[in-house]
Amino acid sequence: MTDEVESLFSRPLLPLANEADAEASCAAAAPRIVAEDGHAYVVHVIEKAGGAPDKASVEQRETVAEDIFSLARGVATEAGIELDTDLRFGTDVGDAILDAAEDIDATAIVFTPRGGRSWWDLFSGDVRDRLVRDSDRPVVVLPAQHADHSETTDGET
Amino acid sequence: MTDEELAKDLGPLAALTIGIGTMIGAGIFVLPGAAVKEAGPLAAGAFVLGGIIAIFTAASASELGTAMPKSGGAYYYINHALGPLFGSVAGWGNWMGLAFASAFYMTGFGQYVVTFLPVPSLSIAGITISGVKLVALAGGALFVFINYVGAKETGKLQNAIVLILLAILAVFTVFGLLNADLAKLRPFVPPDKGISPLLPVTGLVFVSYLGFVQITSVAEEIKDPGKNLPRAVLGSVIIVTAVYALVLVTVLAAVDNSLVAGNETAVVDVARHLIGPVGAGAMLFGGLLATASSANASILASSRINFAMGRDQIVSSELNEIHPRFGTPYRSIGITGGFILLFILLADVGTLANAGSVLHLIIYGLLNVALIVMRVSDPEDYQPDYRVPLYPFTPIIGAITSFALIAFFANTIVLLAVGFVVFAMIWYAVYARGKATKQGILGKYILSRSEQMPDAAVSATTSFQPDGGYRVMVPLANPESEADLIKLAGSVAKARNGTLVGVHIEQVPDQTALESAREEFDFAEADELLEQARIDADKLGVPIETHTVLSHRSFEEVFDAAETYNADLMVMGWGPDSHGAPGRAESAIEEMTHSLSYDVLVLKDRGFDPSRVLVPTAGGPDSDLSASVATVMQEFYDSDVTLLHVADDKQEGEAFLREWAEERDLGDAKLVVETGDVERAIESHAADCSLLFIGATERGLLSRLVRGALVLNVVDDVECSVLLAEQSRQRSLRERLFGSD
Repeated sequence: MTDEVESLFSRPLLPLANEADAEASCAAAAPRIVAEDGHAYVVHVIEKAGGAPDKASVEQRETVAEDIFSLARGVATEAGIELDTDLRFGTDVGDAILDAAEDIDATAIVFTPRGGRSWWDLFSGDVRDRLVRDSDRPVVVLPAQHADHSETTDGET
Repeated sequence: MTDEELAKDLGPLAALTIGIGTMIGAGIFVLPGAAVKEAGPLAAGAFVLGGIIAIFTAASASELGTAMPKSGGAYYYINHALGPLFGSVAGWGNWMGLAFASAFYMTGFGQYVVTFLPVPSLSIAGITISGVKLVALAGGALFVFINYVGAKETGKLQNAIVLILLAILAVFTVFGLLNADLAKLRPFVPPDKGISPLLPVTGLVFVSYLGFVQITSVAEEIKDPGKNLPRAVLGSVIIVTAVYALVLVTVLAAVDNSLVAGNETAVVDVARHLIGPVGAGAMLFGGLLATASSANASILASSRINFAMGRDQIVSSELNEIHPRFGTPYRSIGITGGFILLFILLADVGTLANAGSVLHLIIYGLLNVALIVMRVSDPEDYQPDYRVPLYPFTPIIGAITSFALIAFFANTIVLLAVGFVVFAMIWYAVYARGKATKQGILGKYILSRSEQMPDAAVSATTSFQPDGGYRVMVPLANPESEADLIKLAGSVAKARNGTLVGVHIEQVPDQTALESAREEFDFAEADELLEQARIDADKLGVPIETHTVLSHRSFEEVFDAAETYNADLMVMGWGPDSHGAPGRAESAIEEMTHSLSYDVLVLKDRGFDPSRVLVPTAGGPDSDLSASVATVMQEFYDSDVTLLHVADDKQEGEAFLREWAEERDLGDAKLVVETGDVERAIESHAADCSLLFIGATERGLLSRLVRGALVLNVVDDVECSVLLAEQSRQRSLRERLFGSD
C-alpha cells in the first residue's frame, strides 16, 4: 500500500514570505527534495486589499518577489533541483497558497517556522494556522537549519 | 481571473473615494472658520475658484495618468517629461506637501477632539504644546503606525467613510436649505475689503484640492485605467467642489456669519444650531472621520511617491525597503511620519495648510507643463486614452493659474516655496545627478534638435542631464561566457567607480505580443543567468543592476538597450550564438553602430586570462581605448602588458612607442618594435600572450563584425582570447548623451 503513496518531497510547494524565509525554507527542504529526486515549487503571494489601495505598490512588491525567487533558484541550482516559481495575487494569503498547492497537486506544503506567535498576528491574520487547519494535503514544518536563523528573535525568519 | 485583473483591483468607486476621501476632510470641516473670517460669504467663491483651478490640472493629470498608469503619479509624469531636475522638485514637493497636509489634517483632528475631550496643554522645558497639538501628535502617530504595520482593513474602511461623510453632509445641507435666508448672504463681498481677500483665501483653501492627484499615485492598481482614472480624477474634483460650495452657501445662508467666522469647528456649532445635539454629534463624528481619512490616504500616497523616486534614484532605494513581515514600505512611512510630527510641532494650522497648498501648486503647474511637453515631443509610446479638451488652452491655463496663485500667498509662504524649490534642485545637483540615469523627454527633445534650439537652452539642458556615473553594460546571452564578461567589465567598472548593467535580451517570436510573452514566458533561465552575474559582480565588489528586455529582435536590441541604460561602455561576447543572428535590416545596424555614443569591447573568449596582455598599436586615437583597458588590467590583475608597434624604421618606431606608452600611463610596459608584416608580427607575439587587444583601426569594425563580413585572420590564427575595442564616435558631452543628431 505504501508504494502507492507519493513521497512528501516529490512535489513539495514552499510558500515564501520574504528573503530570510526563502533562504531558510529552501535550505531546509533542499536535501530532502534531493533525496526523493523531487521537483520543487515555490510560491509567493502579493497580498491585495481587494478594492482599496494596497499597503505597498504592486511593482514594488513584484521586485521583492523577484529577489525571493532568485534566492530560491540559487539554492535549487546549487542542489541540482528542478524548481518552478509561482507569483500569485490574493486578498487572502492562505487561500492563495492552498490554490497554488491544488494547481500543481503538491505532495506537501512545506515551510519553516517564522518566529513565535506575535501580537501583530492580530493585524496580519495567521497564515500558518490557516494552512494547518484548511489544507487537504500534508503540511510539513521543517526546523530552520542554520544556527543563525534560530537565533533571530525578531520573528523575521 | 488573470493575475493582471487581480493586481488591478481598484474599481471606479474605490478610485473615486480615494480622491474624495483625501479632499473632503479639510475643506468643509476645518477651513470654513478661517476662510469666512477673511472673506465673508465670498469664501464660498474661493472654494469654487480653487475647484476651477484644480479641474484644469485634473484634466492634465487624467491624460498623463491614462498614458502612464504607473505608481508615483504626478511625480512620475513630471520626472518622465521634464527630467530628474524637475522630477526632484516634484518628488520632494509632493512628498513634503503631503506631510504638511497630513500635519494640517491631524491638527484639524485635534481641534475636533478637544471640543468634547478637554486635553490640557503640556509644558516641557519652557515650551508649551497645546492640547490640540498633543491630540494631533497622538493621532498622527496612530495613523503612521497603522500604515507601518499595514492593516489592510483601513483601505476598505475608506470607502465606507466617504459614503458616511457624504450622507452626513447631505442631511446637513437639507437642514441648512430649510433654514436658508438669502439675505444673510449679503453683502456677498465684504464691503471693507472688496474682492481682495478672494485669491489669498483661495490659496488657503486650496489644501482642500490635493486629493485628486493622489489617485494618480495608485494608478497602477486601477482597473481599466483608461476609463476609470479620468472619471475618478475629474469626478472627485467636481463632486468635492460642488459639496464645498453647496455646504458653505447653505451654512452662511442659514446662520449668522459671526457663528462661522474664526470658529475652528464651525460646522459643529452650525449643526447644533440647526439640528440640535444629534446634528452636532454627527458633524463632530464626520469631522473626525474626514480628517483621519485624509491623513491616512496622504500617508499611503506619500510612500508611493517615495517608491517612484527611489526607482529613479532621486532618493536612495533603501528608503523603500519592504518590511519582511508587514509587507509595508516601513522606512518610507516611518520617515514621512517623522516629518508629519515635526510639522505639527513647528507650525500653526494656517501655515500647515498654506505650505501643503503651495507645494502642490508647484506640482500642478509642472504637471501641466509636462503635458504640453509630452504633446509637443509626441514620443511613440505616448498613447493616452483620455485627451484633455481644448488643448493647448487647458494645460496653459492650468499652468498659469497654478503658478499665479502662489503669488497671493503671504511672503513667508512664497519664500518657503522658493527655498524649497532651490533645495530640491540642489539635492538633485549634489545627491541625485550622479545616480539618476533616466533622462526626461524634454531633455531628449532639446538635445535631438540642438541645431534649431537656442544655444542657451542646449547648454542648460546638457549641464542638467543626469549623469549616473560610469556605466558598463554587459549583454548576457549564455552562461558559458557570463563569468568572463563580468570579470572583464567589472574590472573596468571598478577602476572607474562605475556600475555594471547586466542585460539579458529575451527574443520573442514575431507572432507573440510582448505583453503576453511577459506573462507566459518562463524566465527561469534568464533569471539564473542574471543571478549568477549578480553573484560574480558581488565577488568583485562592483555594484550591478540587471534587466531582462523582451524584444522581437535580439541583436539590434543590444544597441537600443545600451542607449536606454545610458551605457558609457558596452562589453559583449562574440561567438556563434552570442546574441542571436542579426535581423535583415543591415542598414539599421550600420546606422546604429556608425554613431556609437559609447565605447565597445568585444571579447572573443577562449578563456579569460589577463595575465599576459598584448596591445599592438599603430597610434592614433583608436587604440586609446585598448590602452586604457590595458592599464585597468595591469592595476586589477597585475597583468604583464606588452606593447607592439610595427614600423618601417625600427629606431623611429621605438621613439614613437616610448612616447605613446608614457602618455597613456603604460611606461612600465614591455615595448616591442618590429618591422615587416603587421599580421605576422602580431601572430608571433600573440603566441606568448593570454589576451590580445585589437583596436579598431578603421571605422565600422563593429558593423562588419555583426554582419559576419569581417575577416580578421589574426583573430582566428591566434590561440588566446581576443579583445576588439571600438571607441565611441563622439566625444563631446552633448553627442555622448544623445546620438548623432
